[in-house]
Amino acid sequence: MENRDEAPPQGVTGKVNDGAPDIEVVARVLGGDGEAFGILIRRYEPGLLRFATRMLGNPDAAADAVAESLVRAYRHLAQCRDPGRLRSWLYRITGNRCRSHLARRHTNDISLSDVPAPALADGSDTWAVLERGEQVALVERALAALPAEKREAFVLKHVEGMSYEEMATVTGARIPTLKMRVHRAREALLAALEEVVR
Amino acid sequence: MSPIDPRLQEALDGERDPGDLPVDLREAYARLNAATQILKATPPVSVASRVMAEIRQNPAPVQGEGPGRRLIQWLGRPRAVTVRLRPVWTLALAAGLAAVLVLQWRRGGPAPGVAQGIANFVGQFPGAQSVEVVGSFNDWSRGMLHLNDDDGDGIWHAKAVLPAGQHEYMFVVDGERWVPDPLAGRYVDDGFGAGQQNSVLIVRPVSAQP
Repeated sequence: MENRDEAPPQGVTGKVNDGAPDIEVVARVLGGDGEAFGILIRRYEPGLLRFATRMLGNPDAAADAVAESLVRAYRHLAQCRDPGRLRSWLYRITGNRCRSHLARRHTNDISLSDVPAPALADGSDTWAVLERGEQVALVERALAALPAEKREAFVLKHVEGMSYEEMATVTGARIPTLKMRVHRAREALLAALEEVVR
Repeated sequence: MSPIDPRLQEALDGERDPGDLPVDLREAYARLNAATQILKATPPVSVASRVMAEIRQNPAPVQGEGPGRRLIQWLGRPRAVTVRLRPVWTLALAAGLAAVLVLQWRRGGPAPGVAQGIANFVGQFPGAQSVEVVGSFNDWSRGMLHLNDDDGDGIWHAKAVLPAGQHEYMFVVDGERWVPDPLAGRYVDDGFGAGQQNSVLIVRPVSAQP
């Protein structure tokens, strides 16, 4: 996986698009320029939507969770204790929202009915010969089968490219715990992929 | 599910060159890598217009730089002012100021209203350069309620008139470190996950105090 610890250094994250660092945009919003919050949305919405979609397994529920999280972030922006790490704060709010959503389902797991089963011709296919759609369905289903905590750790690490330090800020879990979750998630995913594609 | 080879975990953690892995582990590495690339696809939707519509409909209160705040800051900024007064007027002015100060001192500071009470904030922060309180009573805005440590013993104090009822708050030390009040006795989750807590303060109205 090529995106190891891709969390950009402080001050760089906030300069993607629209120029101004997060800390300046946050100051503008807190000063009454509500429209400036749109800069932060454009900057972080793609990642938050991807994260929530992987956590909830359902694009509509993910869009709701991200929209609610962004509105909540706007309302409580003054409580962001370190605007230089706004990305971590937004992921923390969104992750919390996703957990609440999963808790309302009385299970931390994604319903596999939300994730289409791959239509494989037979068990002798290899990964390379699978159609793209089959690969996507297979991977999404394997991820959905993971317990929520392992799914979250894997997605933050390998999909969102966070360092373990940033993951600890986002989840509140300790770094050794997160490493263990990522390792277990890799094992489960690999086992699921190898079981179907031999 | 069986544990995967530690060398593969190391490669996935960026601690080992995947090119050095045996062929079977390299295949597993490539398979997980391919799965990750699939998961990196960004959903083709946006909630930006929905969020901005909600924000425009219910804008948050301005925290720092509104016109009123700017006026207060302008008034609070030090400026050189030259006033030429006759000595007799100077004495009268000084006497008037002294009378106001004495009256204020006898009252013992700002008087709370019926539905207000006095909150005492105390914190031990040896070596701190500044300590302030932010909370639900001031919209978590910085720069509004500073604690003092006049004798330099590391114990910081502030007194404030607040609306009666329950408030959440935190200390901000040296302008950057947010810490709960260790003496608060009650705490609540700050609502943003990660298990961080705000301190809780209950202010009783002066009318209820003996």
